[in-house]
Amino acid sequence: MIPNDVIVVSPFIAAVLVALAVLVVDLVAPGKRAPVIVVSLVGLAIVAGLTLYVGSHDEMGRIIKSLGLTSGGGDPDSLRVTAFGGAYVVDGLTTFLDIIFIGIVALTIVFAPDYLEARGLPMAEFSMVLLFAMTGAMLISASADLLVLFVALELMVLPGYMLAGYHKTDGYSTEGAIKYFLLGSFSSAIFLFGLAFTWGATGTTSIAGVSAALQAIVSGGAAVSPALVMGLGFLTTGVAFKIAAVPFHYWTPDAYQGSPTPVTGYLSVGPKVGAFALILRLFVDALGPLRADWLQVVVILAILTMTLGNLVALTQNNVKRMLAYSSIAHTGYMLVGLAAFAAGRIEGLQGLLYYGAAYSVMNLGAFAVVAAIQRRSGVTSGLETFAGLVRREPWLAILMTLFLLSLTGIPPTAGFFGKAYVILAAVQASEAGWTSLGILAVVAVLNAAAAAFYYLRVVVYMFMREPRSEEAPLGHGALMWGGLAVASVLTVALGLVPGPFLDIVGQAARAIGG
Amino acid sequence: MNDWILTLVTFLPLVGAVVIGFSPVRWARILALGTALITWVVSLVMAGQFNAGAPGFQMVVEQPWIGAFGIEYKLGADGLSVALVVLTTTLTWISILASFAPIQTRVKEYMISFLILEVGMTGVFLALDTFLFYIFWEVVLVPMYLIIGIWGGKNRIYATIKFVLYTLVGSLLMLVAILATAFAYQGAHDGQWAGAFDFVQLKAFAGTTGFADGLQLLSFAAFFLAFAIKVPMFPFHTWLPDAHVEAPTAGSVILAGVLLKLGGYGFIRYCLQLYPDAAQTYAPVIIVLSLIAIIYGAIVAMVQPDLKKLVAYSSVSHMGFVTLGIFVFQQQGMDGAILQMVNHGVITGALFLLVGVIYERTHDRTIAKMGGLAGITPVWAATFGFFVFASAGLPALSGFVGEFLTLVGTFVFNPWAAAIAAIVMVLGAVYLLWMYQRVVLGEPSAFLLGLKHHLTDMTPTEILTLAPLGALAVVFGLFPGIVLKTIEGAGATALDAVSGAAPIALDPIVPAVALGAVVAVVVVRLVAIRPGQAAPDDAGAQPVEGAA
Repeated sequence: MIPNDVIVVSPFIAAVLVALAVLVVDLVAPGKRAPVIVVSLVGLAIVAGLTLYVGSHDEMGRIIKSLGLTSGGGDPDSLRVTAFGGAYVVDGLTTFLDIIFIGIVALTIVFAPDYLEARGLPMAEFSMVLLFAMTGAMLISASADLLVLFVALELMVLPGYMLAGYHKTDGYSTEGAIKYFLLGSFSSAIFLFGLAFTWGATGTTSIAGVSAALQAIVSGGAAVSPALVMGLGFLTTGVAFKIAAVPFHYWTPDAYQGSPTPVTGYLSVGPKVGAFALILRLFVDALGPLRADWLQVVVILAILTMTLGNLVALTQNNVKRMLAYSSIAHTGYMLVGLAAFAAGRIEGLQGLLYYGAAYSVMNLGAFAVVAAIQRRSGVTSGLETFAGLVRREPWLAILMTLFLLSLTGIPPTAGFFGKAYVILAAVQASEAGWTSLGILAVVAVLNAAAAAFYYLRVVVYMFMREPRSEEAPLGHGALMWGGLAVASVLTVALGLVPGPFLDIVGQAARAIGG
Repeated sequence: MNDWILTLVTFLPLVGAVVIGFSPVRWARILALGTALITWVVSLVMAGQFNAGAPGFQMVVEQPWIGAFGIEYKLGADGLSVALVVLTTTLTWISILASFAPIQTRVKEYMISFLILEVGMTGVFLALDTFLFYIFWEVVLVPMYLIIGIWGGKNRIYATIKFVLYTLVGSLLMLVAILATAFAYQGAHDGQWAGAFDFVQLKAFAGTTGFADGLQLLSFAAFFLAFAIKVPMFPFHTWLPDAHVEAPTAGSVILAGVLLKLGGYGFIRYCLQLYPDAAQTYAPVIIVLSLIAIIYGAIVAMVQPDLKKLVAYSSVSHMGFVTLGIFVFQQQGMDGAILQMVNHGVITGALFLLVGVIYERTHDRTIAKMGGLAGITPVWAATFGFFVFASAGLPALSGFVGEFLTLVGTFVFNPWAAAIAAIVMVLGAVYLLWMYQRVVLGEPSAFLLGLKHHLTDMTPTEILTLAPLGALAVVFGLFPGIVLKTIEGAGATALDAVSGAAPIALDPIVPAVALGAVVAVVVVRLVAIRPGQAAPDDAGAQPVEGAA
């Protein structure tokens, strides 16, 4: 009989074991790529299976019953199971986010070998570090305690610093890694400081406890104490660093441009979705009662983030850097969903989750194409590399166009539906009396139009410019093609038949949104 | 048969595009033409099945799509859609045939783009779900972007990006309006999403309860912006000359023939029927803008040195009649506007084809370099003359009927407005005939003589592309009843929706701000075109040479 606590954390344990297994495989067969990839992917499949099993209604119902608890309300989606004295939680949101993390890491591992091989970079370390980062992200989504949340956050971002500086002999890679590390550590410290204030004001580190204490303060009509306000400010700042919201975004472009391309792809989605998981656990779960206080901050952050990210992206001549700035803009669109949720629309949370999934798929796809083009060592990610791509590599050019159109938000793609969803939520909130959300919706669509300029510029280069020189097409591995196929099919499917996916998102959102 | 014919006519080109994608390049042309012709035949069958006497939408197909929001795959046709779909399918096969010789690079991609473009255009005219409508609306954008950007002229990239950005700004705001409208509907129906994106339900709601004033004013403005950019209405027209000049010939034909009609269609279908009160409120402003467009387009066309740009600006003027006819809210005006949309598609499409024919041979479109083509290429000169007269509104040709009906409608509304518009019909004759005189009549210019045997008359293929348009111009001119019978019902429905509505009382600040914005745009444009500075469009007149 396995203790319930172990069953509940089994996906997390499995993820750690997979990372260790990769390490062992590399010890047994040093330098071999194939076994590493196979072990990683099979391991990820097992982790995904366990996550779905533990997160299933039946299993959660069984555990709850065996603990002698009542299952609360009648809605099976609102089931939640805690373990280790309430520090670890599994609910619909955990399962949903974990599956996204696993998907992101699996796609990154699939996209990486071609690029790494051309530069003589080892695969095993890459996979291992990536898997450890994933365990951190999974722990964030399952945190029910502020301290666990902080540990999980560090567990997610530390491997990120290593990955950014992964190309040790490359100056840019090292520079990007140092910037990322310094600002990342700094923001973690600020974040921790904020946690301390919150603990001081509420006397507990349990998320449920914090929420209850704040609820008591708010419903008691008492003024929010200055300490709590400071805590909230520090927490917001720390989180804004992690999601690269303007004006805390300065580390992003250098870290993204300097990192090896597959790493950039991962950094632009993995830690970002992870940080949004953190926001959902911290701001929505723990600080939910203070919604009215942080809502306007989120609105302002969203407007600044979208607008500045887009404006700077307009002037970039390097595709990686352009995608870095555009990822800042996408953070802004996701914040629109968060703001709408704070204003009381569950659709905002659904939109945020949907956008997170759609953004992961399309952004990883776009970076995968950049990585594929850079298969030959020494090829930069400058715009001119893309000139006349359709002649050399028609399929890559077409897939890149699909991903860019999706990032722009042209239907029928995932990106369009994601944008429509968060904007819908904002419009709903504005009709319920939140005028600032209406303004936010308009700013969001105007930004989407501006973004079209720089995304389409890449298309212009690929289709409408002549190549500088005739280069022989590069061969690409079956893994790369397979990964691109998955990403592109998902990009289209999420936009064309969003129905089934909306149900999943709806379930995940109900887990914490009520 | 009624269930699937609309789906068939919409998605047949997509099937063709996929087939072309997997076929050898040498088959691309013939496969594309075959697909377009089959689609055309299917659209004619559809038109044959359409019962002009019956009210409402016909051949409706309805399937749940995104259940959570009540979004459906719903297509249906009324007279307006039928007329415009047939126009689309006709112009598409003609454009594809006209592209056979000029397009020699990346033929496969070109044909695929064109067929996907057709899917989007047809879909816009047939969609009865606002979300589906928006998707088709955006689908149109991508292939046109590629067509201008890849196969266009020297300055194509600037032109295509400008086209996309203008269109996208309008359409994204429209998306917000679509969502806001759907939410208002949902809010009024106990939170049920069913029907919130269904045009028929929304219209029924707009006709009974009606949307709130604030929502109407804002949503109408957002829809209006999207459509006004597409039409294009003054002062949102500046993308048009660039896009036209840089687009390949067939691209210009579709742009003028169908894409501009998406805007007119949108006005009638969505602006008037969903937000009738707001339509009444805004109508005077829109009528003024239409009159400005009519005059401005004609005057600017007069001084264009470039043949294609002249035709492009004439579109601004002609489409001004369409918006004028729609917003005077008179039966004749509405019929005239719809008729004008169809006729403008036929005539301007033909004019762009003819300009393309001569450009293929001379690689130049400067009017000043032309002259005396009548002696060199008589068949071309005669055909060109025919369509120039049609465009100028010569009675018995189709251009006349639409403008005449519009003027009648406008006269009922306000004689002065009608008088202004009528004077511009004279201006239209002036710039068209003056252009014809400089290009076709007189002594052959040295430039043309220098081309020697390269300057041949029209080939049989080219004649084949123009013959159907010529026939339509005559038939619609002599028997406008064919079109009128089809569209009357749809026009009347739209008018019914508006006529009962009362304008919303506006805070005086709103028109003041709007007026200020228009003035600001005009001032900025005037300042931008200082003398001595070559503006990308609106360039001054060139000295005329070789005119007898």
